[in-house]
Parts: sequence; structure tokens; C-alpha cells
Amino acid sequence: MMATPTATEAAPSRLSVTLRGARLREAGWGYGFAVVPLAVFGLFFIYPLGYAIYISFFHWGILGKIAPGTGTFNYAKVLHDPVFHTALKNIAEYTVAVVPLEMALGLSLALVINQKIRGRNFFRSAFYFPSIASSVAITTIILYIFSQNGLFNHIFGFSKDWFGDASTIGWGIVGMNAWTTSGTVMIFYLAALQAIPDDVYEAAALDDTGAWRTFWKITFPLLKPAHFFCLVVFGIGALKLFDQPFLIAKGASGAPNYSTMYPILYIYNAAFGSSDFGLAAAAGVIYFIIIFGLTIVERLTVGRQEAA
Amino acid sequence: MTLQTSVASAEPYIPGRARSEVARKVLLYSLYLFIAAIFFVPFLWTLTTSFKTIPDSVNVTFWAHPWTTEAWHTLWTNYDFPTYIKNSLFLCAVIVTCNLFLSALGGYAFARLRFPGRELLFLLVLGTLMVPDQLRLIPIFVMMVNWGLYGSFTSYILINLVSAVNLFFMRQYFLTIPRDFEEAAKLDGAGYFKTFWRIMLPLALPAMAALAILQFQGTWNDFFWPLILFGQGNPSHYTLQLGLAELHFNYGTLWPEISAGAVIAIVPILIIFLVFQRFFVSGVVSAGVKG
Repeated sequence: MMATPTATEAAPSRLSVTLRGARLREAGWGYGFAVVPLAVFGLFFIYPLGYAIYISFFHWGILGKIAPGTGTFNYAKVLHDPVFHTALKNIAEYTVAVVPLEMALGLSLALVINQKIRGRNFFRSAFYFPSIASSVAITTIILYIFSQNGLFNHIFGFSKDWFGDASTIGWGIVGMNAWTTSGTVMIFYLAALQAIPDDVYEAAALDDTGAWRTFWKITFPLLKPAHFFCLVVFGIGALKLFDQPFLIAKGASGAPNYSTMYPILYIYNAAFGSSDFGLAAAAGVIYFIIIFGLTIVERLTVGRQEAA
Repeated sequence: MTLQTSVASAEPYIPGRARSEVARKVLLYSLYLFIAAIFFVPFLWTLTTSFKTIPDSVNVTFWAHPWTTEAWHTLWTNYDFPTYIKNSLFLCAVIVTCNLFLSALGGYAFARLRFPGRELLFLLVLGTLMVPDQLRLIPIFVMMVNWGLYGSFTSYILINLVSAVNLFFMRQYFLTIPRDFEEAAKLDGAGYFKTFWRIMLPLALPAMAALAILQFQGTWNDFFWPLILFGQGNPSHYTLQLGLAELHFNYGTLWPEISAGAVIAIVPILIIFLVFQRFFVSGVVSAGVKG
């Protein structure tokens, strides 16, 4: 981002004509190199942002505007829809439960890997692997293991259909995603742990501080930037929940009893279930504003914390 | 990791400690192995289930009894998995190639070439990271329907030609390469594209390898956009993840078939992961740091 001083800027003025030509040439190549990526970002990121807002003010069906009228009626409808409220409540509960869980798990795994233990690579691979497997494969595997006749019930003597019951399904998704995401969290904590200089621990060893105390008094506070980083990244990530509830409920209906209804499923359902694209776009804009607001708040508080 | 050694060497020698130390180690490793088992046993279980018969799939025996490749056979003949695999591989190949080329090209321009408005345009690139999929979903679907591209591979390839994360990743890598190489090339009379293609690209190979691996994983595992763009259309365009989801939607208790499908969905990523582990880790950390 920094403008680097170069030979061109210091050159004598009698060369300025050829230099201007060289600069023009460089600029030309610069635009030429960047034009396709910029076109892609403009067409499929920036333009859709405006287009989504535009659509949200109309009665919009699959092929375009379907009824006259412009206004904020889609927004009013979303904001007064009890299903949308349920979706927001569900995602809030999910995020508040899953983020601390995956952070605690990820940090514990990182502490295991960060030791001088035999088979570190094996353990690291084993812990990290669920993070990179596809959500569809993971969800079907977990559904199988937690089905009524599944492995989990056989081992622990339950006879519950964990992902078929509205009272346990949300926790099931929390558990599954905490399990799969903890490997990624582990990688970040591992990088942070390895950045802690050894002399800090050597001082602790000289003071004869126990391992448990060393962790809580020294390691944990030193990991503060990593804690906040994970909180922001995985907090925002959690708000984008879609694949798992969609697969478990076999669609975006939120079955059973709206227990799997989350905001992105609500948007999907409005568009592809009810063919109301205006409503879906409005819900998308509202949810975007909520996430954006949370990001700003998090950045401000976390940024302040990190500076302190 | 030096923590343990330094702590251990600081401790005085206590007779009789060795045995308790061994016991502690055994206990600790058993715990670690147990935790590791929680992470990989589900995958092994899936693998053996794919060789079971349907009645056997609800038994809690680890080994299939009897072993049968029937589920695999069914996937191949009844459910068109070869097409799904081909579709997924095709999309991965095209998208990885495009991302490699375009993000290197764009990343190089933003790292090294000076052109008016560069900083502003770069902010725009980073700004795309703030536009979430749930907001793009409706307009992109509507655009693809209007352009007559809905349900085609083209639609999916177009929106995935290049990503801001990849471009940023390549730009950061180019910034670390000393300028001497380009200046030498310039003295030799090489033009901008030749310098990029012959000098800079070979130097950026490690970054490109990491990018290719992470992009392959992302495209192979992607469920959301294939669902939006060809999930309701012709099954001949299904990706592997869509095919597996469809199998689960329609035949939710055909556990051997579903397990075989899950194995196919996982194995390519597993192989790449085991071979290129360090790229995964470095890629994830550097891609995350930008966030």
C-alpha cells in the first residue's frame, strides 16, 4: 500500500517525456492485469449489493416484478414475521453456545499438540481433519451415528432420535459444529502459542510455578489477541449457519417446529419455498445490517481491548 | 514445545519418580488417543459401514458381516455418482486454474504496478469480503435466470472465477519477493507480462500451491452455491455434495450407500491433506490473519 520511492521519481526532468511514456505503459499494464478480477468483483459482489437493496423494495417473483408498488412493505413483513424472530433467536442461542465451546476445545487441543509429545503430527492431523471434510459428508455421518439405532445410542444406552427431536436438535448442531470447527480454532491457537517466547516459561519454571498455574497466570493472558481474534472470526462464521440445519431438516422449512430455522434458511425459504424474492432480499439486507453492526461493535471493543 | 524440556531440566532428581512419571505418561497418552479417537472413529465407522448390508448397518459391530461392495455398486449404477464426481472434478479444475491465474495477475498488479486509483480499487477488492453470501444469493440467482445461465456450469464458474481472499493472498506473497528480480528482468529488456510470467510466477509457486489446495478444498466441499444454482434443476449437473445430499434427502436410511458417498466426498480431501499438510496450515493461518 505504501508508495515506494523509485528511480523514476528522482530522475532529471529532460527525461520526463520518455518517463511519462513509461509510466503510462506501466499503468496500462496495471489496469490490464487487474481488469478481469475487478470486473468479477464489481459484477458479482458490488453490483449484487445494490441490486439486492433494489429488489427488496418490490413485489418480486422468480421472473421479476410481479405486482405494482414500491415501498418498504417487505421490510415490515420480515420484521413482523414471528418465524424471522425465531430464526434470530435460534442463531443467537447457537452462536452464544458454539463459539465458547469451539474456542475451549480448540485451545485444549492446541495445548496438547504444543507439547513435546510422541506422534504430534498424528494427533494434529486427527484433530484437524473434521475441519476440512465437507459439511454434507460430516452431517450425514453424524446423523447416522446419532440416529435411533445408531452407534451413540448403542454405546450410551439411549434410545433418542437426537436430530429428530426439536428439544435436542439445536444442541446437536452446536455439538457437531463445535467438533468440526475446533480443529481450525486449534490451528490459530497453535500459531499463537508458538509465538510466546520461551523465556517467559523459563522464568515460571525458576519460580517453581505449577503447570496449571502457569497456564492460567501466564499462557492464557498472553493469548489475549488470539482469544479476540477467534471470537470475531468464529463469531461471524457461526452467524452464517446454513448447510447443517438444511441437511438435517431436509430443506429450509425449519422442521421440526422451526427448531432448525436460522436466518439464512429463512432467506432461502422465502425465495425458493414461497418464490417471494422481494421478501428474501429484504431479509438478506436486514440480516446483513445486523451482522455488519455486530462486526463494527466487535471491532471497536476488541480493537480497544487489543490496544490495551 | 520447548516448555516441557526446560521445565523438566529445571526439576531436581527425585528417586522413585521414574515409575510415577511413566504411569502419568501412559495415562496422558491414553487420554490423547481417546480424544483423537473421537475425531477419527466416525470416519472409520463410515468406511466399514459402506461395506455392510442394509440390515447389518444398524448393528453395532465395527466390521461388516458379511463384507459386500453392493452399496458402492449401487452408487455407480443406480445413483449416477460417476457423473457427480466428474462434475465436481471438472468444476474444481476450472475454478482452481482460473483462481491461480487471475489472482496472481491481479495480486501482482496491486503489489507492484503503479496505476492511478490503485489504492481505491484495492479497498474495493477488500470491501467484497464484507458482502456476505446471504445477501448475494437473491441478486445472483435473479441475474443468472435473466441471463439464461441458471442451472449451467457457466453460472457457477463465473461467480467463482477469482476471489478477493486469493487475490489478497497472492498480493501479500508478491510483496515479500525482492524487487531485484524484476529490475534484472527489466535490464534484460523483458516486458511487464514476460517479467510476471517468467520471473515472478515461478517465484510465487509455494503461494500458488497453497492457494490451489485451499481452493480445491473449497470448491469440492461447496454445498451452498451449487444448491442455489443447480440444486433445483437437472440432476446431470449435480456436484458430488449435491448428489450425496439428494441421496440423504430421498433415501435417508440407506446407510451403506450414504456412507460410501460420504467416503467419496472425503477421500480426495484426506489424500491432499495428508500429502500437503503444511500448505493447509500455513494457508489457513495467513488467510485468517487478513480477516
